[in-house]
Amino acid sequence: MGLLTILKKMKQKEKEVRLLMLGLDNAGKTTILKKFNGEDIDTISPTLGFNIKTLEHRGFKLNVWDVGGQKSLRSYWRNYFESTDGLIWVVDSADRRRLEDTKRELESLLLEERLAGATLLVFANKQDLPGALPSKEIRANLELDNIKSHHWLIQGCSAVTGENLLEGIDWVIDDIASRIFTMD
Amino acid sequence: MKGIHDQDLGYHQMVDGLSRTIHCYLLDPLSECCPTAQQGQALCATFYGSMQDKDFSTIIGENPGPGFCTGARIIRTGKKKGGSFLSRQAKKKNCSPVTEEELLQRDVVSPDEVIKLNSITEKYLCPPEANVFNIDFTRFKLRDMETGTVLFEVAKPETHPQVEDDVREMEAEEADPNAGRFVRYQFTPQFLKLKTVGATVEFTVGDKPVNKFRMIERHYFRERCLKSFDFEFGFCIPNTKNTVEHIYEFPELAPDEIKAMIDNPYETRSDSFYFVDDKLIMHNKADYAYNGGIV
Repeated sequence: MGLLTILKKMKQKEKEVRLLMLGLDNAGKTTILKKFNGEDIDTISPTLGFNIKTLEHRGFKLNVWDVGGQKSLRSYWRNYFESTDGLIWVVDSADRRRLEDTKRELESLLLEERLAGATLLVFANKQDLPGALPSKEIRANLELDNIKSHHWLIQGCSAVTGENLLEGIDWVIDDIASRIFTMD
Repeated sequence: MKGIHDQDLGYHQMVDGLSRTIHCYLLDPLSECCPTAQQGQALCATFYGSMQDKDFSTIIGENPGPGFCTGARIIRTGKKKGGSFLSRQAKKKNCSPVTEEELLQRDVVSPDEVIKLNSITEKYLCPPEANVFNIDFTRFKLRDMETGTVLFEVAKPETHPQVEDDVREMEAEEADPNAGRFVRYQFTPQFLKLKTVGATVEFTVGDKPVNKFRMIERHYFRERCLKSFDFEFGFCIPNTKNTVEHIYEFPELAPDEIKAMIDNPYETRSDSFYFVDDKLIMHNKADYAYNGGIV
């Protein structure tokens, strides 16, 4: 039995999943996290650090890390890569001006060795806003179809209404579970 | 509104008609009482325990509805020797693989050592000065996940520089090294019926990067460990404000155990140990009563 197998088995026992949520500032990461956990979302201020939530969901223990997306904080993102099972990349679908920025940041993350084994979920957030690009267009703009290194999915969603948040998270968990927990 | 004042404990609880308001008091030194804890308050302990007595914490939210918590108080531990409980404890034979006495001899205490303790500590395993990273707990919130209600929320107000200077002077006079490391909670029995709770803490970090920040918290009722909590925050960015919410199920308690916990206030106690790079930098304590509204 190889070391990797042993590690996988250990993880399987606890069914612990680590999700890292990143994206540019004002993408809606904290709002997604709070909405997903049934918390009030009226008073959310920019995250100058991180927000962590640990919760049980469908028999898994989820540890979700939401790290601030301001430019000054992005150089610290690498400190949170270790042991990440799923990367949730959040995009403000209404912020057309910074689509290029978000594409570039995502691309550099996908080159990170420590994220190599992570499932990628892209949340095309703020679909409730009138000016929001549909997820199809975000997918084209970010050239997601070129990604061969990671399992990925793009999901249009709204953190404010809660639309599709659960679907997205469940897909990530299913994908991770099929990679890690069912392997023998 | 009626007020209950217990002279012996220096405890003051206000019960307001139908709905109870949570009160947070700054009390005079009261060092002796330190019984264990129930699960939910894990993080309470953390939070309050780390708030210095100089920091006049304010209640932000009120307890809605049934009233789970009738009081949460920040207590200055300190000069006054008390210790009926401690002396009792001292007489007990400690049969844990690692004893508190052994750990008190160490310059540096590691997580592995703390994990081997199997009872509540009597003393603090590190001095307050060990917190060289300026990690400061600034907010605590507890919510019931079943109903979505915020049970209570307290926060440390932004400190005004002038006030802080004044407080420093006051502190210098008092020079109580353990101020703010201990907190006492008063809950109603309903609290023990909660099933799933979310406990949020907010903390700030000073201008040094923090590596491998880890919390180990143990809750005991008398000699029995009710819950052990071990969580690694990992890296903390300098000069940031961070939050962590743990959402978890309360351990199942037998009816007779619940009764014992209600009947024996402050024998539920917790130790919270915080490590940076595997070195103990903070140690806080709390104790809990569940007889609010009864006595």
